[in-house]
Amino acid sequence: MKFNNQESLTTQQTVMIITNFILGIGILTLPRAAAEKVKTPDIWLSIIIGGLIAMLAGVVIVKLSQQFPKKTFYEYSQDILGKWLGCLLNLIVVGYFVAMSSVMLRAMAEVNILFLLEGTPRWAMIIAFMWVGFYLVIGGLSAITRLFQLIFPITVIIFFMIAGMSLKVFDINHLRPVLGLGLGPVLKGVQSTALSFGGFEIMLFLVAFMRDPKKANKAVLFGIGIPVIIYVTTALMVIGALSVDGVISLTWPTITLIKSIEFPGIFFERYESLLLVIWMMEIFTTFVITHYTAAMGFAQSFKKELRPFLYFLMPVIYIVALLPVDINELFALSNGVGNAGLVLFVFLPIVLLGIAKLRGGRT
Amino acid sequence: MWNIIASHLPSWEVLFQALIVVAVPYLLSRMMSKTQYADHPPSKEESMEVTSQRDFTGKLNHDLEQVKNEFGQQADINIRSFCLGHSTQQAALLFVNGISDRELIDQHILKSLMCDLAYGDNHQAENVTYPITKQYLKDHVLAVGVIKEVDRVADVKTELLRGHAALMLDNSTSKVIILGTRKEITRSAGEPSSEILVRGPRMGFNESICDNTTLLRQHGEKADLTIVQIRVGERVEKELAIAYIKDVADEDLVQEVRNRIENITLDDIQDTGYIEQLIEDNFLSPFPQIQSTERLDRVVSALMEGRVAILLDGTPFVLTVPTTFNMLLQSPEDYYERWIPGTLVRILRYFAAFVSTFGPSLYISFISFHQGLIPTKLALSIADTRSGVPFPSLIEVLIMEVALEILREAGLRLPKPIGQTIGIVGGLVIGEAAVQAGIVSPLMVIVVAVTAISSFAIPQYNAGIALRILRFIAMFFAAIFGLYGVVLFFLLLCSHMAKLNSFGVPYISPAVPYRLQDWKDFIVRAPLKLMKRRPKMMKTNNPIRKE
Repeated sequence: MKFNNQESLTTQQTVMIITNFILGIGILTLPRAAAEKVKTPDIWLSIIIGGLIAMLAGVVIVKLSQQFPKKTFYEYSQDILGKWLGCLLNLIVVGYFVAMSSVMLRAMAEVNILFLLEGTPRWAMIIAFMWVGFYLVIGGLSAITRLFQLIFPITVIIFFMIAGMSLKVFDINHLRPVLGLGLGPVLKGVQSTALSFGGFEIMLFLVAFMRDPKKANKAVLFGIGIPVIIYVTTALMVIGALSVDGVISLTWPTITLIKSIEFPGIFFERYESLLLVIWMMEIFTTFVITHYTAAMGFAQSFKKELRPFLYFLMPVIYIVALLPVDINELFALSNGVGNAGLVLFVFLPIVLLGIAKLRGGRT
Repeated sequence: MWNIIASHLPSWEVLFQALIVVAVPYLLSRMMSKTQYADHPPSKEESMEVTSQRDFTGKLNHDLEQVKNEFGQQADINIRSFCLGHSTQQAALLFVNGISDRELIDQHILKSLMCDLAYGDNHQAENVTYPITKQYLKDHVLAVGVIKEVDRVADVKTELLRGHAALMLDNSTSKVIILGTRKEITRSAGEPSSEILVRGPRMGFNESICDNTTLLRQHGEKADLTIVQIRVGERVEKELAIAYIKDVADEDLVQEVRNRIENITLDDIQDTGYIEQLIEDNFLSPFPQIQSTERLDRVVSALMEGRVAILLDGTPFVLTVPTTFNMLLQSPEDYYERWIPGTLVRILRYFAAFVSTFGPSLYISFISFHQGLIPTKLALSIADTRSGVPFPSLIEVLIMEVALEILREAGLRLPKPIGQTIGIVGGLVIGEAAVQAGIVSPLMVIVVAVTAISSFAIPQYNAGIALRILRFIAMFFAAIFGLYGVVLFFLLLCSHMAKLNSFGVPYISPAVPYRLQDWKDFIVRAPLKLMKRRPKMMKTNNPIRKE
């Protein structure tokens, strides 16, 4: 019996990782972020288009990774770009993951302070969260995968339960007219919705661990498809209940929506606690995987053990998480990270794939 | 520009906190670095065999002297000297009083050696040559089922102490015949009181490994049941048996179990509980990673799933590995009843497990932190009943929970009638009085009671204990962070379970990794007609249960 830690990932485990990674802050903020740009009720179309773009980028990434079997991005970037340039790129990617993980932490703390724990200091919440995350991360990728699989059904069940409840305040008229101002506004929103799909880039690393890398395409399509469904549902129920104008003025529209639903008679009167619970779980998964991937970047670039870098990154992530002074700066940072991701993982892979093909053709 | 950067520079506080972030887990993990099950180096070289040296000479007086020296002053060794048949050939039978079967020795061994041998002399004198050899005795005289020969004093001693008798002959070879006269004090195989079912076989194991393996054999006669015997314990040697079904169980698993057991170097192993703790994967985990049971049917069905059973002489508790959390919430009765009640009861148990772990912590977080989340009317009535309570909710819960745990511990060891009285006194009187006195609120008593009942609904006692421990940790998390703390604790718990393995099988299987095949026997107990395969997680050699 193999008692080693690292098992290879099945396709469906890969799907779980991608899905859990993508689902994060988006559930709470996506409707507003998109509504600000689109300004018509057609947000859900923007989300679908954003999802399609993400899928396309995901497929490119898979193609790239399949060129280098059993190697993660951190390893083959040096094959493609040479040692120093590859190393530099790796560091940038690591920086991206560190920033993303910090954003998750900080967003979690902000939402908590706003809705659950008013007087509790941020540092206490963030530190406790990081320790729990660290406990999981030192278990390696297989423990992370198992946790993701464990949490995912809980999330989905509770999410759709809440979505079902919001039907009570749902008004189809808020979603009309469809394409009232044409496709223009929809496309304007695509950029901000595409940001919410940040997370598919994990395929740069996962393909190397997959038992059957040929099915990576399928994994990435499903892995993005599930969040598309959840995001579209979120957008429909939020816009349907609060209307576009209502959504724009709210920081966390989804929570506001759930707060407004009342089901007297059942044990709870308000259900935002349930939503916050699953949302925190999703933030946890995103935080854990970004922390792990960032540490893996260091470990593989320098060909060292993983564990010291896991330790090293903890204070870094913590400090970055506390950098933004207020919530607007947090959103700015989040946007910056998203845009960086767009460049790093949508355009760059195409370039790299081109170079790899050229080089591969030559040798 | 510079100002913006400066305003964002982390303060000393943040840097200090960042240090704490990394320092605490680092120190903790340094302290716990030895918790994982380390693969021991291959078991040490067998103690040097002394084969050539012979302690016995074949001269009775000398040999007896040897044995007496070995035993020293111990009084309970019995040496019976006699002459074989009518001859003058000296012989001696040695046994230890009490643990040997006297009836067998008197009626069959001594009688046949003294009387029957003499009787046989008259008829078949030509066959008997004097002095009588051991071979002749073994072939024609000794009507005993188990016989073996040893030639070292130390071996004679262990055999005698196990209840066997030793026969020595004068003028013979240097070996001593050991006769199987061990007497076992056993009880009948009744229903174990710790695992009672409404429906199902009433068979349980007892303290004799012989009886236990017999029970297994009877139930698995056609099933290629393999029982491997190992002796464990350095000072007090005991029989241990590893049972598995040859063409079902994974060979690597069997080998792993064997290795781990052979690595045990303890001088005395009292119970399988010792073995459980010595071979489990992670000794810091609150969860039992090996299932122990007294029920025969549980072990047999575990064997059929491709698991391995470990039996030890002297205890009715049999271990089965690997174990997952799901197994601890199952009862054999789930399969004896029809599938619909079986399924519902299982769902109920999962719910009970959840309540018994998170009940009080949710109470604390809603009462102390998020009053807004409970319905207004309920919140008002709670506030009303709590108005006289002088403690924060954590202290309130702790008082009642600790009192209840003490009550449970006290009731456990008392004779049944008194135990019930204690339950009434403790549960009703103290609870009622505590409310009257204004120490706790009535709702609190309800929460504690429901939690306690839930933890009784868990079929395995040790799994219930694990959840009870976790309940207290959850309460502290809730007292610090409210609902957020409960979520954190849930994530911590899930992380721990995700990391935990039991003999190579993830502890949370079959929940994760997703295997639809195995989910037929998870929260839902599918109709038997559909359960055609053995659990995939056990990596069995022979996956088909029925066509």
